[in-house]
Amino acid sequence: MVKKKKYPASRIVIFTMLSVLALSFLYPLFFMFINSFKTKSEYRKSAFAFPESWNFDNYVYMLDQFELLRYFFNTILIAAVSIAIMMLLAIFASYAFARLPFKGRGIVYLLVIGTMFIPAQVTMIPMYQMFSKLHLVNTFTGVILCNIAGGLPGAVLLLTANFRGIPGELIEAGKIDGAGYFKVVRHIIMPMGKATIAINVILSFVGQCNDLFTPMILLQEMDKRTVMVALSSIMSKTSGDQAFQLTGLLLAVIPPLLLYICLQKYLVKGLTVGAIK
Amino acid sequence: MGKGSKYAKVTARQGWLSVLPVLVVILLIRGYPLIVGLCESFTNWNGMNRNDFIGFKNYMNILKDPVFWDLLKNNIIFLLFIPIQLIVGIVVAVLFYDETPGWKFFRNVFYLPQIISSVVIGYLFSVFFSYRGPVNAVLKVFGFQSREWLGEKGSAIIIIILCLVWVNIGWQAMLGLGGMGSIPPSVFEAAKIDGAGYFKRLFKITIPMLGRTIEYSCVMSVIWVLTGLFPFIFSMTKGGPGYDTTTIDYMIYLKSFGSSSEMGYACALSVILLVIVTALTIIQMKLSDRANDWEE
Repeated sequence: MVKKKKYPASRIVIFTMLSVLALSFLYPLFFMFINSFKTKSEYRKSAFAFPESWNFDNYVYMLDQFELLRYFFNTILIAAVSIAIMMLLAIFASYAFARLPFKGRGIVYLLVIGTMFIPAQVTMIPMYQMFSKLHLVNTFTGVILCNIAGGLPGAVLLLTANFRGIPGELIEAGKIDGAGYFKVVRHIIMPMGKATIAINVILSFVGQCNDLFTPMILLQEMDKRTVMVALSSIMSKTSGDQAFQLTGLLLAVIPPLLLYICLQKYLVKGLTVGAIK
Repeated sequence: MGKGSKYAKVTARQGWLSVLPVLVVILLIRGYPLIVGLCESFTNWNGMNRNDFIGFKNYMNILKDPVFWDLLKNNIIFLLFIPIQLIVGIVVAVLFYDETPGWKFFRNVFYLPQIISSVVIGYLFSVFFSYRGPVNAVLKVFGFQSREWLGEKGSAIIIIILCLVWVNIGWQAMLGLGGMGSIPPSVFEAAKIDGAGYFKRLFKITIPMLGRTIEYSCVMSVIWVLTGLFPFIFSMTKGGPGYDTTTIDYMIYLKSFGSSSEMGYACALSVILLVIVTALTIIQMKLSDRANDWEE
């Protein structure tokens, strides 16, 4: 009986603590939202109050003057092309790493996976030099190549582990039915690895859209920038107007947030697998 | 023989051709720059024409420079976020595992910062902790003086640590939850029947059994502190005040693309960083090997 009485009290404490923590994650979103409708002076007066009127000046200015939509387009284009090529390469390679034994396979695998932890900063200086000789600085191709090379080890690691789990009989049966190399990959490997491929695509997409370092170094021309690069220059140019800054931050948060909300159910299952920073 | 070896030959050829594109990309985009960087670390390259061999001079200069040891010290101070992240994350994971009311909602919310760009989070913190920002406004109500949180020695580093914890609680909780999923539920049932309370279960069962999850997240977080803080520092403090929040990876940026272009020096610094990260990665791989043995 005593126990039963104690139970709800501790539950309330726990619930309150978790709620406070949750508030720390949600309030900044709300804060960005209400302040995005304020003017500079209104923000100065009170940052916590609701806006006096719902004026969209900050948004209009951000999209019109700073051409944020163009940067969104650049970002998505770069990420989409990078990920499409990366996944294609990773699927074939992982199939071989998991299922097609050849001499030196272990060493090649280690070589590929081993580059996962080489920080981007370490290779950036010589790479920049190499790219500038090949006229790849200030081109999407340069960033895309970087993204592909950076993402491959992680993708190969996850996919190889996943493909190893596909029953061998399934592949053999396919081969007996006359399926060649590409048919096996297309009709057996890819459908069986669908979930892992999807998680990888989503996480890489979010990761690449959110990246600052590589696009900042490689894309210096104004109209080639990605959202994060543009945002960081907007932030330093408008440090006096925090309402405007918060609008920019909110706009940069919205796409990944929507993606997260839509794919949440799917993501949560895979997150523990893909929980690699 | 005949057919069998022919089949193996075809398989091997298919295998090689399948991995070849990946191998080429990795060697060209990551391998080649790595080797060039290693060579340039022995030069006084300035990104332009000056590029003479100077032996170990860069390395000597770095190791002699007190700034380098400050950077290393900063990196080590930033590591402080790991124990906090671990404690909060594991406690939250245990609560989720017990399916505390609303746990699914909390889980989804706590993971949010992992989806949002580190740059955005950094700027958000810099707005919140700015002199006229909301944090000072709230503290003023309670009679505290406003201060430049990210501009003062000491407080800047604390705010960044706070930010790192905030970002990673959800990640750690998810990882912990995944780890707990591999503990047989019967263990908990037995403990409950034996009358073990919440804390006893936490310290006597959960934490010891989460050993490998904790090891994994420690090593990953240490590597992350060494290589992944760039966007946070860039957006919050730009390494200041002074070099107070500059880490090794941020210094590489400053020396190469930031304030100066001492490419040779930056390459040497990169090599040092790479040695540290490689050592940690080997430890990580050893650990995960052991973990695999344990699983089987």
